[in-house]
Amino acid sequence: MSKEKDILLSVKDLVVEYTSDGEVVHAVNGVSFELERGKTLGLVGETGAGKTTIVKSIMQILPDPPAKVRNGEIIYDGSDVLKMSQEELQKLRGEKVAMVFQDPMSALNPVARIGNQIVEAILAHNDISRHEAEEEAMNMLEMVGIPRERFREYPHQFSGGMKQRVVIAIALACSPDLLLADEPTTALDVTIQAQVLDLIKNLNKEKNMSMIMVTHDLGIVAETCDHVAVVYAGEIIEYGTLEEIFANPAHPYTLGLFGALPNMTGRVKRLTPIVGMPPDPTKLPTGCHFHPRCPYATEECACGEIPIVSLGGTHQCKCCNIVLDTESEGN
Amino acid sequence: MAPVVEIKGLKKYFETPNGYLHAVDDISMKFEKGTTMGVVGESGCGKSTLGRTIIHLQESTDGQILFEGQDVTHVNKRQLSKLRRNMQIIFQDPFSSLNPRMTVEDTLKEALLLSNDTNKKSLDQEIIRLMDMVGIARRLRMAYPHEMDGGRRQRVGMGRALAMNPKFIVCDEPVSALDVSIQAQVLNLLQDLQDEYGLTYMFVTHDLSVVRHISNEISVMYLGQLVETSPTDELFDHPMHPYTQALLSAIPSTDIFHKKERILLKGELTSPINPKPGCRFAARCPYATDACHEPQHLTDVGAGHSVACCRAKELNLAQA
Repeated sequence: MSKEKDILLSVKDLVVEYTSDGEVVHAVNGVSFELERGKTLGLVGETGAGKTTIVKSIMQILPDPPAKVRNGEIIYDGSDVLKMSQEELQKLRGEKVAMVFQDPMSALNPVARIGNQIVEAILAHNDISRHEAEEEAMNMLEMVGIPRERFREYPHQFSGGMKQRVVIAIALACSPDLLLADEPTTALDVTIQAQVLDLIKNLNKEKNMSMIMVTHDLGIVAETCDHVAVVYAGEIIEYGTLEEIFANPAHPYTLGLFGALPNMTGRVKRLTPIVGMPPDPTKLPTGCHFHPRCPYATEECACGEIPIVSLGGTHQCKCCNIVLDTESEGN
Repeated sequence: MAPVVEIKGLKKYFETPNGYLHAVDDISMKFEKGTTMGVVGESGCGKSTLGRTIIHLQESTDGQILFEGQDVTHVNKRQLSKLRRNMQIIFQDPFSSLNPRMTVEDTLKEALLLSNDTNKKSLDQEIIRLMDMVGIARRLRMAYPHEMDGGRRQRVGMGRALAMNPKFIVCDEPVSALDVSIQAQVLNLLQDLQDEYGLTYMFVTHDLSVVRHISNEISVMYLGQLVETSPTDELFDHPMHPYTQALLSAIPSTDIFHKKERILLKGELTSPINPKPGCRFAARCPYATDACHEPQHLTDVGAGHSVACCRAKELNLAQA
């Protein structure tokens, strides 16, 4: 490689647990990844896989208790987020790292004017007059495609898609270097989703912002991400560039996800669902957490540490039977 | 043979302080035995209202509903309870559509007793039969909804609908609350049940890849009106209405090697309250002309394909 990679965020061995009623929920179990400046990483997985917990720990906005970071490092631009003081965290949140939540209906304050909610974010991080902040906020509204005349309106006067744009405007108000987007379009219709994804993509390019896109939709990953991490039961079970994952999915779970998806291009008679249910995070299976549902599982899978196998390039996969899978796929 | 269900010029208006909300506006459809009609559209387009009106969960404003050739638009209570045995619904949200204080057995038992032709003796067998049919493990017989995940709950909802031995089932977004791996299980089950019992489905969804997978025919709705209807493959190969084209192009594709051109729509749904005559999509349509402000009619363009757009032919010739 000719150039040193410009790493903005590096997460190492992150372990997060929730305690409820004496039971320990193993939400994140040793997650490591790196994110380059200006790139987008997709965290994809099903409900309860731990995707949201991962991004919330980057912002340090997990409720503690019940959540507890047990282990790991989250290095943002050279400093460990987990060791930051409240003051440092306040500066980080909103100014350098911003988050867009899934549900735009509950992310906005229903009794505050749209404009003021953006102004509030700007004033919290910039030493400027209210008047200047208002001007800036109106510019932000226009940037996300909302006429500035609607500055003084309330959230209930906006549709779902427009509310999500406002949430994006607030997140981008201080030009963060990293945007954490947690299922930003799940609550929206497809045509509106297309508009919002387009907006995020363009802003991303324009501002050279890095992004983590949390989603369960492989189509959205395909359209927005450079790298992909597939999350299952709190672990990254496969990682690689978009091309590596979509052209050569290696982990049986990733293969299963693709197989379960109704195909838009050709029609199949029957879908191939993944058998069984996602595991109970209070009682994770030993060995590979996916082995009880895996069609290729052997005895080896049920015990011990599962090795992370490199498949060339950046492509990595956490599975004992990986050789077998690529073989069977090749013929 | 008459279609299992047919609707003619069906309307459902809701009264609001600002006027009438045209949720379902003059829709005609036929549901043939053993087939699945997919109804797609964005939230607020009236697709769920259409399903609910057909099975009499709410009174229609105008138009006709026929069940096996018989007019059932206006029925009394006794006729309705008979009709309900033939027409059932599976709801979107498996969390709120089950009574939280009833076990699987209670829920199924209630439905079975309502269907009249089950006597108390065979009740036990019937419950087991239903549970096997929709794939709920027998050990869950005494389980409450909160003890089950979304996929299992949706199966209970299906079992409840099937208890009546219906001929026609409205599936109102039955998989949109489920994860993909579970979604595939439920979709397969719906298909198996259809094959085995010759069920007729109206499948309401906003997810076009799901609807493509499961439907024989698809109807596209926009603000209470039917804008296009066609056999499934024909619709995906040759969408003719500008709205259908935009809708299809908006789906994020997992095919990273064949990037498609995306039609981005401007703006959002307009209000369905006291809509102006003319095409309701015109305000967002990139091809709108003056002629679009005249009322549009669904016109047959061959191969079972109908479209309500005055410019469809001309535009599609230009694109071809």
